[in-house]
Amino acid sequence: MNRPFVCIICPNSCQLKVTYEGENIFDIKGALCDKGKEFVKNEMTNPLRVFVGSVKVNQGDFRLVSVKSTTPIPKKYLKKLGKLTHSIAVDAPVEIGEQITVSGLEQKIKLVATRKVKKRIYAVEKK
Amino acid sequence: MIEKEVIVIGGGAAGLAAALACHERGVEDILIIERNTYLGGILNQCIHDGFGLEKFNSSLTGPEYAQRYIEKVTKKKIQVLLNTMVIELNENKNLLVTNHAGFHHYRGKVIILAMGCRERTRGAIAIPGTQPAGIYTAGVAQELINLRNYMVGEKIVILGSGDIGMIMARRLTLEGAEVLMVAEKLPYSSGLPRNINQCLYDFDIPLLLSHTVINVKGNSRLSEVTLAEIGKRGGIIPKSKRKIPCDTLLLSVGLIPENELSRQAGVILNPMTAGPEVDERGQTNVPGIFACGNVLQVHDIVDNVSLEAEYITEGVIDYLQGQTNRDQEISIILGNGLRYVVPQKIMIIKDTIFSFRVNEPGKKKTLVFKEWNKLIHKTFFPRVNPAEMLQVKLSREELEGVKTLKARLV
Repeated sequence: MNRPFVCIICPNSCQLKVTYEGENIFDIKGALCDKGKEFVKNEMTNPLRVFVGSVKVNQGDFRLVSVKSTTPIPKKYLKKLGKLTHSIAVDAPVEIGEQITVSGLEQKIKLVATRKVKKRIYAVEKK
Repeated sequence: MIEKEVIVIGGGAAGLAAALACHERGVEDILIIERNTYLGGILNQCIHDGFGLEKFNSSLTGPEYAQRYIEKVTKKKIQVLLNTMVIELNENKNLLVTNHAGFHHYRGKVIILAMGCRERTRGAIAIPGTQPAGIYTAGVAQELINLRNYMVGEKIVILGSGDIGMIMARRLTLEGAEVLMVAEKLPYSSGLPRNINQCLYDFDIPLLLSHTVINVKGNSRLSEVTLAEIGKRGGIIPKSKRKIPCDTLLLSVGLIPENELSRQAGVILNPMTAGPEVDERGQTNVPGIFACGNVLQVHDIVDNVSLEAEYITEGVIDYLQGQTNRDQEISIILGNGLRYVVPQKIMIIKDTIFSFRVNEPGKKKTLVFKEWNKLIHKTFFPRVNPAEMLQVKLSREELEGVKTLKARLV
């Protein structure tokens, strides 16, 4: 059987033509690099995506810190994970690369902060 | 009046890369002027990944990409004025800037324009109807959601299939909103195919090509948009009109380089790019004023912005060292199939990178450079897409002796 794919690894957006039977891939045409082949393999069995979102920060100079999953995660988790990130909050300061673990899915997912958030300085000390 | 060697207007992707590249080439006296409270510009709100594949060979998010530059700028002790806005720039390269401490006069031997671009609004595309709340440009919605923690709506229609529009479709879905559709006026998407796949198809958001919003309705808040199909001749097909109940309309209908300051300084703008007309190293018609990044031409990926900013600093150094020899000029003429070309002229013959956008998608195209009937250069592209910027490098040898250069796509 034949199926077209658009590779999402890089902006080249290679348009791939894949010949397959069940889970066996016979031929991939149109890929500029080898990464496309692995992408198709995953896409046929267990599509993976990097999750990006944001998490609330208490007392930060930004109200949110942007986060991403350390590794690509199964596509089916994306929406659930989006909801779960609403219910958590971290305290400022946050450094780039700081880990934030989210539980509630079948597997624990590690997120890392992708922005530096400093502690907010109040002009007048809050009592 | 404070004098500086190089003044960079704008502390986003282009400005940071240009300032750093100048520093690396030995310029010490550099000033970056940024009107926001933080450096990095629009990268800060682009929290999705996919940046830096070309420059750093890894997939970074916007803030991470910006951070790599911000750290270097801090380390090199390049002077930065935050919260400061340039309100006047003239042809003698005098600047009037304002911030909390009042007005200041600056003067730069070289000015690098790196102000970026802004979004087309509802007014620019003239959508008829009432004036309710709930109509945002995609970038504004992105800032509200990603930086300020405000949600823009619940039932959302997106007009325009530019990359920002599609990325917002995914972001809003993950934040719990319902994105009903992305409508695109043209018969093809104006974004990258990978974004159609990972932002729309992944979440079953329909992409309606040749469709546009022809009316909006609502009193205090948007309640309904009217959608219609566009026929082959560009008119609306009356039978295809349908009403879509929704509370939010996002517009991702194109970007315009922000050139108010350039105009004040007497910089000639190109009607096709809406950015300055420049020579082979980004110098405008005003000697010593250079432009790079989205203020020059709207780029597809940020890596190209950084690379362009670094590329033009070669011209900056030449200018500072007094190499302003303008003995030869090649004018570049635009032929079939191309929307624009940057640079538009060549003053000093050297290896030059040309950037293009094509008019429509196509397969197996060749970009041909000719002087009358003499072939100067050709490059083959397996496929071309208006969403992607094409770049071609012509060597010094190829350009030697050429007077006019015509580029076209065949």
